[in-house]
Amino acid sequence: MIQLARLGDLVQSLPAIASLTARYPQRSLDLLCPAPFAALARLFPGVGHVLEWNGPQWHAWAEACVGEFQAGCLDVVGRYLAGLTSEPYETAYVLNQHRRALLAGSLLALQVRGPYLHGPLNEELSPWASYLRHVARSRGNNRVHLSDAFCGLCGLTPPPISPRLTPPLPDLPADLGDIGSSNRRWLAVVVGAGDPDRIIPVPVWIEWISALLTRESSYALVLVGSERDQVRSLAIQNGLSPMMAGHLWDATGRTSLPQLAALLKQCQWAVGGDTGPLHLATAVGTRAMGFYFSRARVHETGPYGNGHWVWQADRALPGAWPIQSSVALLLDPATAAHQEPVAGWSLWQSHHDEWGAIFRPAGDRDPQEDQRATVWHQLSEQRLSLQGTQ
Amino acid sequence: MNSFETNVNRLAQCNAALASALSQSRGGTLEIVQARTGIPSARANGRWIHSAYDPIQEAKTWAESQSPQEGETIVVFGVGLLYQVEALCARLPRTAPVFLVVPDLSVLVDAASARAWGDWMDRISWAWGTPEEISLQIAKANQPMRLMAYTPAAALHADSHRAIEAVLQRQIAAQAGGQLNIAIVGPIYGGSLPIARYAVSALESLGHQVRWLDHSVHASSYQQLGLLKNPQHRLALQSKYAEMLSRVTMAQLAEDPPDLVLALAQAPLILPMLEHLRKKKFMTAMWFVENYRHLTYWQQLAAGYDFWFVIQQEPCIAALKRAGAKEVRYLPMAADPSVHRPLELTQLEREEFGADASFVGAGYSNRRAIFPRLLGQDWGFKLWGNEWDGATDLTSVLQRNGARIDTDTCLRVFNGSTVNLNLHSCSGTGFDPDGDFVNPRTFELAACGAFQLTDRRSLLPDVFTPDEIATISSPDELPAEITHWLREPEERRVMTTQARRRVLADHTYAHRMRDLLSQIGVASPDRIGSIMRGARQTGALASAAGASFPSLTSALRTFPSNQRVELKQLAAHVRSRGPMGTLSREDLMVLMLDEYRSETKDLV
Repeated sequence: MIQLARLGDLVQSLPAIASLTARYPQRSLDLLCPAPFAALARLFPGVGHVLEWNGPQWHAWAEACVGEFQAGCLDVVGRYLAGLTSEPYETAYVLNQHRRALLAGSLLALQVRGPYLHGPLNEELSPWASYLRHVARSRGNNRVHLSDAFCGLCGLTPPPISPRLTPPLPDLPADLGDIGSSNRRWLAVVVGAGDPDRIIPVPVWIEWISALLTRESSYALVLVGSERDQVRSLAIQNGLSPMMAGHLWDATGRTSLPQLAALLKQCQWAVGGDTGPLHLATAVGTRAMGFYFSRARVHETGPYGNGHWVWQADRALPGAWPIQSSVALLLDPATAAHQEPVAGWSLWQSHHDEWGAIFRPAGDRDPQEDQRATVWHQLSEQRLSLQGTQ
Repeated sequence: MNSFETNVNRLAQCNAALASALSQSRGGTLEIVQARTGIPSARANGRWIHSAYDPIQEAKTWAESQSPQEGETIVVFGVGLLYQVEALCARLPRTAPVFLVVPDLSVLVDAASARAWGDWMDRISWAWGTPEEISLQIAKANQPMRLMAYTPAAALHADSHRAIEAVLQRQIAAQAGGQLNIAIVGPIYGGSLPIARYAVSALESLGHQVRWLDHSVHASSYQQLGLLKNPQHRLALQSKYAEMLSRVTMAQLAEDPPDLVLALAQAPLILPMLEHLRKKKFMTAMWFVENYRHLTYWQQLAAGYDFWFVIQQEPCIAALKRAGAKEVRYLPMAADPSVHRPLELTQLEREEFGADASFVGAGYSNRRAIFPRLLGQDWGFKLWGNEWDGATDLTSVLQRNGARIDTDTCLRVFNGSTVNLNLHSCSGTGFDPDGDFVNPRTFELAACGAFQLTDRRSLLPDVFTPDEIATISSPDELPAEITHWLREPEERRVMTTQARRRVLADHTYAHRMRDLLSQIGVASPDRIGSIMRGARQTGALASAAGASFPSLTSALRTFPSNQRVELKQLAAHVRSRGPMGTLSREDLMVLMLDEYRSETKDLV
């Protein structure tokens, strides 16, 4: 399997991995992913070897070739590829539409299953890739989750239950060692985002955390994020009442991805706008509540599985935030059905069934008919018909 | 047997002629002094050639700072006691050819007497004799050359080394067949703008692919900023504008990365952008066609360019090096014979542009002070050009009310005047006492076959002989000299013919660009030098790819053998096979590298 996109997409590949290993239990499955995610990918169930894709090295080779191309350029590239695998794989399942992933598939395997039907130079899309491109361009009434579409790309159906990964035992810095212990309720706050457009403003977090701790003092909050989120985390802490300091643990920039997975597993909830850590939280069994705005869409990339919540903004940059409502929901999920509508936001809850994940509006009956079964049937028929013509 | 005899006997086994010459030579150039570590060190002319403390460690550090590439011939300048050669040999693979330049046998006698040489000496090819003989010996290696100078020792024979380097550069220029992709970054306006145009045309005439990033299209906007009355606003906004154009340049370069970025003086490239270009492996050069004493912004940019070419020699070169420039070379101005040429004027043109004596140029203070003495003579004088406001005593001879003169008019004046005055500008009232560089007008007048009377410049003898250009050393001589030359039509004809012939033979922009590229080629044998030798042409690439990459080889064979092919073209060739094309592993690797190449966003 080849997944060269971001952290969120890698974690969202878990259902496809689960379906693939269930369908072909006798075959071994290796995973090619960006080198920085390799340690996390090694925790994925069903994955044999994890091959590390060194993007910066490829950039360096390409730069070295510019204006100075010689046959020797291919020597070093060939050695790198041989280091990934000495023998070509039988099949590469490519989950990205980026040409690099397709080329990687063609370089490493005898046959490629993925977005393109006929190799990297022929842009005729497979039915599922065509559907995903349509969704990316027009959204429409799509309710098929990206994780499940990945299964479709591989010619599989979604797994009956959402897959879990088991993080290692927490091996955290001493001051974070208590996370998950005691009688507190632990909640991870994802303070930043890989995409700057998806960052929840610091004042919003200050107000949200204040509202939560004012109403329920048994919560302990772990601020998580990368090194670049440390300044933001500090700003949040500085903006809070000193009385709340004892409720906060700052883990930003201090964890590797496996450590972050372990840390999230110690929490009951993960809250934030960055889909990558939220997907990681759900993968280790932690409930997630997401604030989706900018380009994030609940139906395509909401937290996978059962019982997660997503506040979906109706505009890219929200004017107001559902602070009190989301805190109330967190403290008592049963109130979801009776929540007052929040202007500019809609609330969705995740479910999981035979067609994978589905988000339905809280309280109300879904005004839109669930067409996932139809989509799956149509796309499967198209795929089978194409296979028949090949 | 002492160390001299031991060394010479061993040398005789591989180079009998040198050994014999050495036996008959005398030393005495180097003063041998014991270093603190107990081994011999050396001094010459009161300066240390090797470390007074630890010559071996110093030589090792020098050798480690060099960056030879596989397949290159190493040429070492600087003999000394050869510690540096020994250290270099220890670092290089045994098969790497190493030439040691020996311009003076006396130093080698001292080196041989001071200590016994080791086995490394058997690896050395000793290049000795005249500069031409030495160059010939090195050229026989027929490989790209990497010149390495051990400066403390090389400085003793700097003139010889320069001469050898010049011969090697001429050889590269003569062999040059490869096509370079060159981006010329021109100024927004000013005197270097036409030079940029001439450089573009010259490089194209040499067969290179040239892209002119012409910022003169932004001139009117920039000049609008000059109208702002508040000087702080004006300077701040002009600076911002130049910075913005610097970013525009970066974006343009990123779209199609060239082999060489050649900037002309006043090009809007700021130091942070130049540093970023270097980080991204762009090779940059600046032809600073300005008087370094008057325009001093080079101080801020010196470290930014890989190569500086200047129209002055010392102390200009030393000043730039002190400011951080790594490579500074002398490259005088020139003419473009397709522009600067003899013209037949019509009777009407002759009446308008003709004169006994004339001058074209701006009203600098020395010209304002000198020209009034040309009034009221037996012969006529016409003054052309702008910035003569306030020079009321010259109003009677100032043409077109002091309007700016375009190139076309300028050529007509040159061709219509019996004596063209060529006085270099200066802020005083006479000739520039530090006058060194030769201005473009000197070459342009000569190329036009027009007679000129020029103020004496210290660098003029490097480019013209007294038989080609007439000079004066004092403003007071001017009226008499004009009178003299007006009476000597035949002598004028002979001089102008010789001057034009000299320009065509030595001083066109094509000559300058060839020199510039060959100098960069010698200093960068693995990049520019390699392209110039044609090593990046399809024929050479296909031979190198050979049997190891059959698919690549056959793809390369589809291009003309002398065509320059890069990753981009190869990838386009692979893609051109169409959607159902069969791809080999090599094709896929080419496409993958090209995917990463096409991402240039981090440059801008």
